[in-house]
Amino acid sequence: MDNKAQLKLQALLDGELPEREANEVAQWVAQDREAAALMEELRNTREALAGFDAEVRLPESREFFWSKVERGIQRLDHPAPKPARESYLTLLRRFLVPASAVATVLIAGLMLNRQPGSSGGTAAAEMETALADSGAFTYRDFSAGTTLVWLSYPADKEAAKSDEADTFE
Amino acid sequence: MRAKLISAHGLLWLSIALVLVPGGQLRAQAADMKFQAFLLWGTDNAKPPAGKTYQPVAAEIRNKLKQLPIKWTNWFEVNRKDFAVTQREVCEVAISEKCHVKVRKLGDSDLEVSLIGKGKEVMKRRQSLPQGEMLVLGGNAPNSTAWLVVLKRTD
Repeated sequence: MDNKAQLKLQALLDGELPEREANEVAQWVAQDREAAALMEELRNTREALAGFDAEVRLPESREFFWSKVERGIQRLDHPAPKPARESYLTLLRRFLVPASAVATVLIAGLMLNRQPGSSGGTAAAEMETALADSGAFTYRDFSAGTTLVWLSYPADKEAAKSDEADTFE
Repeated sequence: MRAKLISAHGLLWLSIALVLVPGGQLRAQAADMKFQAFLLWGTDNAKPPAGKTYQPVAAEIRNKLKQLPIKWTNWFEVNRKDFAVTQREVCEVAISEKCHVKVRKLGDSDLEVSLIGKGKEVMKRRQSLPQGEMLVLGGNAPNSTAWLVVLKRTD
């Protein structure tokens, strides 16, 4: 039996032959033992496979599935456009906003944390701005928070003329 | 939309600046400085000179004077003045007939002090004087005694 005859038997089993040809093939099977044996074997095989042939169902409709495939192909054909280049103003603003925030926090910190007693390095720097008394000395007691400025005023000669408690009184 | 966002940013920073900057300036300038000025007489004698009714100096000031490198053991209060100094004003206080003190507020706790004795400026000094601290000006007086002008910041 050649391959073409075997295919005719398979087509008869699958119901794919026209009526007239199906009758001819059926008569041939009835008369030919080899054909009948092959037909029986094909029928048994199909029944056996039918029990194991798991039915696969798509979770979506066929039309929707293929439309997804089509959209995927279109995406590949037309890649997404690149984002427009940012302007210098945007870049500058992106830098200035956090920089100004940091500067504000620093300035606020400096202003709020300035100690009431701190000199700030300006006018408070301890200094004698005018001393007629060149013999004066200054002593600072940091623990007591006391500054002593000892003057040679009044001059000893002048003091000698005064009463002891009369120097400044 | 973008313009609204930018203006919102601007308003936010402007309001922060308006709150912080004047607040700090006001904080620095608003308060007056309050002082007590004392004229003291120092001696090793236990009593004030004859005919004078000076009282011993307050314990707080005496204890601070003990920590200074001055030798006298007893200090008597000749006179005392309370006064306050506002920003940019010069306050002149007569502690006695011969002794005046001029104080000018320069900043938070910064001040300029001038000592005037018998009408002449003896000393002018700029320094920081936080609350509770003292500036002591002094000199020798006849018969191994001393005079002190104590400027104490009370507020």
